[in-house]
Amino acid sequence: MQNQLLDIPQENKLTRKLRRTLAWNLVTTIVHQSRFRFVLVLALSTIFWAAVFYLFYDAFTFIDSMHTEVMSLLFNTFFSALMVMMIFSTGILMYGGLYRSGESSFLLTCPLRAEAIHAHKFTESLWFSSWGFILLGSPMLIAYGIVRDAPWSFFIMLIPFIVAFVVIPASIGSILCMLVVAGLPRLRLHALSISLAGIAMVIFWLSWSTFGSVQSQALTAAWFEETLSRLAMTEQVFLPSWWLSSGLLDAAFRGESRELTHQSTLEALKFLGLILANALLLSLVASWVARWTYRKGYSNLQAEVPIKRHKQLFWLDELLSRAGSRVGNPIRLLLVKDLQIFRRDVTQWSQFVIFFGLLGLYFYNLRSFNYSHVYASLIGHLNLAVVGLILSTFTTRFVFPSISLEGRRFWILGLLPIHRDQIVWSKFLFSFVGGLIPCLGLILLSDSMLGLPWGTVLVHLTCCLALCGGLSGIAVGMGASMPNFRESSPAKIAAGFGGTLSLVLSAMFIILIVITVGFTNHFNLLQQTIGQLNGNTTSRLLGSPGGQVASVLIIIAGGLLATFFPLVLGIRAFRQLEP
Amino acid sequence: MIQFEHTTRTYGNKVAVSDLNLTIPSGELFALLGPNGAGKTTTIKMLVGLLRPSRGLIRVCGHDLVTQTRSAHLHLGYVPDEPYLYDKLTGHEFLRFIADMYRIPRDLSQEYIKREIDRFELHEFADELAENYSLGMRQRLVFAAAFLHDPDVLVLDEPMVGLDPRSVRIVKDLLKAKTADGMTVFMSTHTLAMAEEMADRMGVMVQGNLKFLGTVSELREQVDTKTKSLENLYLEITASETGDHKAVSDNT
Repeated sequence: MQNQLLDIPQENKLTRKLRRTLAWNLVTTIVHQSRFRFVLVLALSTIFWAAVFYLFYDAFTFIDSMHTEVMSLLFNTFFSALMVMMIFSTGILMYGGLYRSGESSFLLTCPLRAEAIHAHKFTESLWFSSWGFILLGSPMLIAYGIVRDAPWSFFIMLIPFIVAFVVIPASIGSILCMLVVAGLPRLRLHALSISLAGIAMVIFWLSWSTFGSVQSQALTAAWFEETLSRLAMTEQVFLPSWWLSSGLLDAAFRGESRELTHQSTLEALKFLGLILANALLLSLVASWVARWTYRKGYSNLQAEVPIKRHKQLFWLDELLSRAGSRVGNPIRLLLVKDLQIFRRDVTQWSQFVIFFGLLGLYFYNLRSFNYSHVYASLIGHLNLAVVGLILSTFTTRFVFPSISLEGRRFWILGLLPIHRDQIVWSKFLFSFVGGLIPCLGLILLSDSMLGLPWGTVLVHLTCCLALCGGLSGIAVGMGASMPNFRESSPAKIAAGFGGTLSLVLSAMFIILIVITVGFTNHFNLLQQTIGQLNGNTTSRLLGSPGGQVASVLIIIAGGLLATFFPLVLGIRAFRQLEP
Repeated sequence: MIQFEHTTRTYGNKVAVSDLNLTIPSGELFALLGPNGAGKTTTIKMLVGLLRPSRGLIRVCGHDLVTQTRSAHLHLGYVPDEPYLYDKLTGHEFLRFIADMYRIPRDLSQEYIKREIDRFELHEFADELAENYSLGMRQRLVFAAAFLHDPDVLVLDEPMVGLDPRSVRIVKDLLKAKTADGMTVFMSTHTLAMAEEMADRMGVMVQGNLKFLGTVSELREQVDTKTKSLENLYLEITASETGDHKAVSDNT
């Protein structure tokens, strides 16, 4: 039999069919095997969508009545920020998909064009990098259309506008990724990635501090003016984000006459054409770049010499190995092992640095604003919640799967003179200490920039301690209670039933802690600022010194419970485990 | 037919494969042997197009793997040491995907898929998702996929890992039959007995150089006494380059 090569449309049809079958099988598996997870994700997504819609609806109603001209600026800022994020996220996803995945190795040995493999992985990355935009952007734009009483054509045009727009930053990310890989060997690639992340952070910081020296009281007219001038840099006519903002604003415009509305819709169509043309051109360029560089770049990357590790221990490992008495020695050795793995796993530490780094930058710039005591207190509590939420994503994504990941190496640990409890404790200590150091630093930074009183700072630090202990306890305890030794991908383990439950419990715990401290502390501040609170006995009780002490006690008790209850359950389950 | 012409591949300053000149004609089963780090995997990666040679070229059925990659791949079947399967595809769906990729007409592809399912005894699990497969089941499915389009050249990297004795027998019989029909097989293995049993010719690679190239009987001719086995000869060839000579002598 004489086999034949596929032409381009046939190749695209083949990969399209592959993605469709994979997606269908994935959905049916989830629906049949993880119904709880599926319903939970669907329900939470719907709630999130509705909440975002409500938030934007309220905000647009407010802006529409007071500052109509602000809308363009807000859209430009939102879409330009999104564009930059998508360039980076698609670039990173394409690197993993094209050069580091088993699928790409397999497809490269098949009679497929490099462009077809690129198009296949590009479609995947495009979806992964833009689902956040769809989840956040769709309620925002629909809310805007309803508030502005936009013509029906606006709602229809939303889909092609969004789809065409996301292709532009995604193509740029993909092109940059392929050019960098083809031009630079891996060692320099790491250096480049770190430099780019550093440059992005410096640009963010510089632009914020240059434009962000706002001296006015927050949420006043002057503050608003100064903030708007800071955002004006996003309104550049050559930016696709400007085309999108202008197109959407035109599409949503309902004129006094039908003719004016039609004219505006036509203007919107012009912008849509512009975005579409650029999206097509850039995807074509990406395809050309793939044709000329992908196979060569892949080969170059394969031929890189692996980095040789030093025989000597890293100073921190050395310190940990030698620290303390001989009691608990196995735990220390396990900690050293986990620390080494963490340091060498770029995915883990890079996300850790990026998220906590950006949070640090934001907290550092809080001093640019002048706040009233009430606002400062409110922002302080919100910051505490944000730190907790970010920590919970790390504990769920990286700490929860850590015991399951020992599964394949369990025979090594099983043969060592280590008690199983010590494995669980080492995971807990690693997560607790690893989370506590940056979180305490961030909370201290946030509170000092907000100028909060020391009493509040101490309460926040107590909360932080409770959060780190509780979140680590939940993640490790649940991970030990519901391990998945068959799966080797931490992302898949975290996305399973246990991981989802752990994330939900973590979120509930954070809400409990922040609400407990937030109410009492806030009412106490109100009492101090505006004197005795009239009428409401509950508010007076919550704001009293007794209420303050009670809230701290509840936080400590809640923290201890969230730390030790799941841990004890996890240890018991882990003792009886037969991998 | 496979041709390596002055093929060299370097990793930084290290030469992984040095000036390899080798032609494997149609209908031959060639076994590549060598210790860890000898350059076998690099050779295979170059042969399937995952790595490009630093110098020289490789042809598969007359097609240069760098400039005519797809045409060369059309003639290739590949069973890697760590096969990739789509976890969310069933065995049947995977074979259908392979058949479509080689543009096998629908009526023929149904027949071919059935043939491979029968041959590798995949019936029980062909409609299950691959994520539930054991190592042996995965390996059998990969073999079925590699044979589906009747390739002219088959590249095997440690092919018997994970297979049960019955499957090993099926594969061995099939390889013999296919080479008799004109298929070229390039096999990398650590198992000397397997090479001895199956290979028409074998090459022993040490530190990127082909230290021995010939038929099994030619290799046997070098075994001069009754006390020396094929295994010892192989160890001598490889040890002289890797510095393990003393250890081998001590063992013999």
